[in-house]
Amino acid sequence: MAFDAATSAEPPFVLAVPSKGRLQEAAAAFFAGAGLELAQGRGARDYRGALIGLPGVEVAFLSAAEIVGQLAAGAAHFGVTGEDLVREKAPDADLKLELLAPLGFGRANVVVAAPRAWIDVRSMADLEDVASAYRASRGERMRVATKYVNLTRRFFAVHGVADYRIVESLGATEGAPAAGAAELIVDITTTGATLAANALKPLDDGIILRSQATLVASLVAPWGPHARQSARAILDRIAATEEARASREVRARLPARAHLIVEKAVERFDAVAAAGEDVDPHGFVALHCARAKAADLAGWLLQQGAERVSVAALEQVFDAVNPLYEALEKRIGASG
Amino acid sequence: MRQFEDDPVNAILDSDVQAVPSAGERALEHFLIAGFVRIEPPVLHPAAIFLDMSGEEIRGRLFLTNGASGEELCLRPEYTIPVCRSYLASPKAGRVAEYSYLGPVFRAEAKQGERAQTGLESFGRKDAEAADAEIFALAMEAAALAGGPLAARLGDVHLFDAVLASLALPDVWRRRLRRGVVHGRSLSAILDGPGQSALAQPGVLAAMESADHAGAKALVEDLLAIAGIDAVGGRTAGEIADRFLEQAALRSGEPIEAEKRKALEDFLAISGDPDEAAEKLRALADDARLDLGKALDAFERRNGFIAARGVAIGQTRFSAAFVRDFDYYTGFVFEARDPARADARPALGGGRYDGLARRLGAAHDIPAVGAAIAIDRLPARRAH
Repeated sequence: MAFDAATSAEPPFVLAVPSKGRLQEAAAAFFAGAGLELAQGRGARDYRGALIGLPGVEVAFLSAAEIVGQLAAGAAHFGVTGEDLVREKAPDADLKLELLAPLGFGRANVVVAAPRAWIDVRSMADLEDVASAYRASRGERMRVATKYVNLTRRFFAVHGVADYRIVESLGATEGAPAAGAAELIVDITTTGATLAANALKPLDDGIILRSQATLVASLVAPWGPHARQSARAILDRIAATEEARASREVRARLPARAHLIVEKAVERFDAVAAAGEDVDPHGFVALHCARAKAADLAGWLLQQGAERVSVAALEQVFDAVNPLYEALEKRIGASG
Repeated sequence: MRQFEDDPVNAILDSDVQAVPSAGERALEHFLIAGFVRIEPPVLHPAAIFLDMSGEEIRGRLFLTNGASGEELCLRPEYTIPVCRSYLASPKAGRVAEYSYLGPVFRAEAKQGERAQTGLESFGRKDAEAADAEIFALAMEAAALAGGPLAARLGDVHLFDAVLASLALPDVWRRRLRRGVVHGRSLSAILDGPGQSALAQPGVLAAMESADHAGAKALVEDLLAIAGIDAVGGRTAGEIADRFLEQAALRSGEPIEAEKRKALEDFLAISGDPDEAAEKLRALADDARLDLGKALDAFERRNGFIAARGVAIGQTRFSAAFVRDFDYYTGFVFEARDPARADARPALGGGRYDGLARRLGAAHDIPAVGAAIAIDRLPARRAH
């Protein structure tokens, strides 16, 4: 291929992260926790940055919505954004994007909400009935204010709601019914307090999506050797941090036939021998196991003849097998 | 030009340099000879018109853009609404005018985003059944000239409505039946399906069972006041009360009496040759004592006109259960397919839509009937 000669000039790996608000802080904290500090350019208005300790990675600070566009266009390799935006902005998300891992922050639900005064409407089936009656009696379709045009269309279609019209709303959607601009809304909510303050209520089965911040990979970005290396390095650190958070290291000196004890421990406690299968000739062993099982494992090792067992937290645990990277490689193909 | 061979749009555009007229031109020629003036309406229209008419499900198929002041516009996805708008904006509005057209319509799902369409629209004629028959016959003839003969299916939205009206069904059931039959669902799926008796608030419904509209409205208003809920959003307390009354009525007793259900079943099962169907309809009306009066008379008159136009009987079948969007069509409806591809999408479709002009801003309904032909779905013309 003609492009092979150009691999030395491979473009930088681009990691897109939210540029403002709580999502930015949470994303920065998440990467810092994985040992990847985001360094923003000198001014607060500088929208390009770097990852300290991982050269060759360019950090792009963008709005959460723009991040989806950049990923879908292949202009960014990785991005942190809300799943709601991925599902809304990238209708062909499954072809162009891979949702690598939910990140546990930025949780919110996209919901269908109707006026509380509609005491006869609690479910989508009610809404379907009311919407068709509304159209039959008024000759107009009920209006739904939302910025989630695609999510709304898909969800309403699944529930057989056809007699409605979308009114696109780019801010303060929850105020639309009171302002007379729409009859109901589809919007994102964390606690429901804003809905309640606007005399709205979510429908019982009206949760369209339980969203949270997600690490997303672009399948259409240029995946040259350098990009793959960067992706692997980032995912290794993320996986290592997550693995460490969920695990404990249990150390002990075991009596004779230590390798049999280790074998049993691996089986009974789903543990991993940190130094591999060969047991140290003096019987020193280190096992990694799930945090919740550490105390049980320690007790069991005492029964097996250990005199003293220590349990320690871990900083990071790197593993040759990285499911996050494997999931990515499955989609972009192995390098070659 | 081999690469354009199966591309209808380019087939039209390239036709100047070809000796043989394109399929679209052959169809259009037939309409022009019949006196339908060619019209070329604008390409851009307010998207809201199409979305209001057909619902949000078509949004994904529209090419959307914004006008200078931010209003949402789209490329025309079909011709009827654009032609009707041009007619209403012309000095002929409200009077008899008959148009034909040929050109691209724009659909996201079509190859290269566009598809050639030809067709005809008739406005203002008072002799509705004769106009229905003429439009249907011209469209079938044009399709045969442009590609090959099609097999047609006829329906009558007005007749269906007349049956529902003479059965005196509650509004809620009329709505559900209209919607369900349009979507091709069976009677039992509509009447016995899930979600029909979602009793959200059994206590309120029980209280409503003996209430009238005024009583129910007062109860709803009291409930809202007790709960301290601000009345926000489109529906009034009266409308909410009416829905409770509907639900209460549905809850108590059989949804639809057995004999009415039987009449509906028998009606929806009627299909076949239009003349035989008319006989069956007369028999059903007598048996079930349905007053289909004018609707049935009109149906028979139209059949007569269609036969007189010389459309081969074998090409057309009537089906009582074939109805299309009630919000748009008001009477005769039809569609036709390439008989060699029975499962294919219709190559031809149309019907009577007397209410459209008013929806587009006219002061009154204007009689209107039209047909459209998707040229790429016609049978391929055999080389001679």
